[in-house]
Amino acid sequence: MEQLIIFAILISLGYFFGRRAEKNHYKSILEREKQWLRLPTSSSKHVMGDIRKIDHCELANGNMVVSIDYFKRVLAGLRNFFGGNVQSYETLIDRARREAVLRMKESCPDADQIINLRLETSSITKGNRKQIGSVEVLAYGTAIYFCK
Amino acid sequence: MEYKPALPEHNDNVSHDQPVREFIILSAGITLFLLGVFWILGFCIDLAVARISPGMEAAIFASAGVPGPNAVASSDPRQVKLQSMVDALRECGGITSPLKVSLIDSNDANALAFPGGRILVLNGLLENVRSENGLAFVLAHELGHFKNRDHLRGLGRGIVLTAVAALLTGAGSEVTQLLAPTATFSQAQYSRDREELADEQALQTLACYYGHVGGATEFFEAMQARDQEILPGFGHYFSTHPEAMERIDNLHRLTEEQHLAVNAVLALPEVLDDRERQ
Repeated sequence: MEQLIIFAILISLGYFFGRRAEKNHYKSILEREKQWLRLPTSSSKHVMGDIRKIDHCELANGNMVVSIDYFKRVLAGLRNFFGGNVQSYETLIDRARREAVLRMKESCPDADQIINLRLETSSITKGNRKQIGSVEVLAYGTAIYFCK
Repeated sequence: MEYKPALPEHNDNVSHDQPVREFIILSAGITLFLLGVFWILGFCIDLAVARISPGMEAAIFASAGVPGPNAVASSDPRQVKLQSMVDALRECGGITSPLKVSLIDSNDANALAFPGGRILVLNGLLENVRSENGLAFVLAHELGHFKNRDHLRGLGRGIVLTAVAALLTGAGSEVTQLLAPTATFSQAQYSRDREELADEQALQTLACYYGHVGGATEFFEAMQARDQEILPGFGHYFSTHPEAMERIDNLHRLTEEQHLAVNAVLALPEVLDDRERQ
């Protein structure tokens, strides 16, 4: 009985705090994405637009490590039995990807564009069940600076 | 090709379903599934138990390591007296195979029907009964368990519970935490039914042996006082012994329905009277 009460407390804490954190994060992501629209970014290997002289280029990267809340972890555990979309992980990964790209853009505010964007994901926990489950998303690309 | 920066209108990478709804559906589904598994396995156990004769049971559990280090010597006068009481009650309880009583030194007040034809009496029991009839009722209750083969059913269900729990632990520890109470609940619910049946038979054994059922509720009255000390209002659904109050009511109801007499009780045999000694 006590076990169930503790579990219920943990899961509701996880739910409410996780939800709040997610809501705030999405709000910040949407705002910053709008702001960084001025820095064109693509996965193409070639510079976009008219041919201009390039002053210099550099490697830009940004990453984010994100962990899941207790509620979502239990939900994903339940999904383990039935199979199907693990929806509780979707927002987590989505947030990590977008945040990593934003951080990459923020790392080179004066660049004219970023090309060759790549995303990499790695699991920090690597199947160790007793530890906290978290993933890292790394975004990297080539920041191009044209001659003025 | 011209580059036109734009933000996506919809986020197609995430689902917009209600996570709480998903959680409730999934956990309800798995709970139902588990209850189904317990029910079916329980049914199989009942089938198997019906095929195990007392002789076969004795052979299977001959090497079981009871009564353990806390048992009192078999020559102890208390144990001898308890053994003679059980032997005397056996005929009325409808048990033909021999039963062995072991007295265990423990503060807990309880008696257990153990596979292999053994009744374990925990010492604390003797402090919680005031008369021979009260003690006889508890022993007759265990005889009832033997007659219904509840000790084997209980053991079988315990094994199933452990096996299923181990299976779930392999899938994810958080989920096990969620489901463990379900298993405990279904086990407790089953035990309560069996306890009530054993109570009913113990009442009949008592009426057959003493000619009346005085003292039947004595032990539960003592337990009720303790229950209220430990768990005020709580733990109803998770206790394997239905709360004392309910069992007392049940016994009173049965006594009335079957028109059983309630007469004066006999004093507890001197060798068994622990309270006097302390």
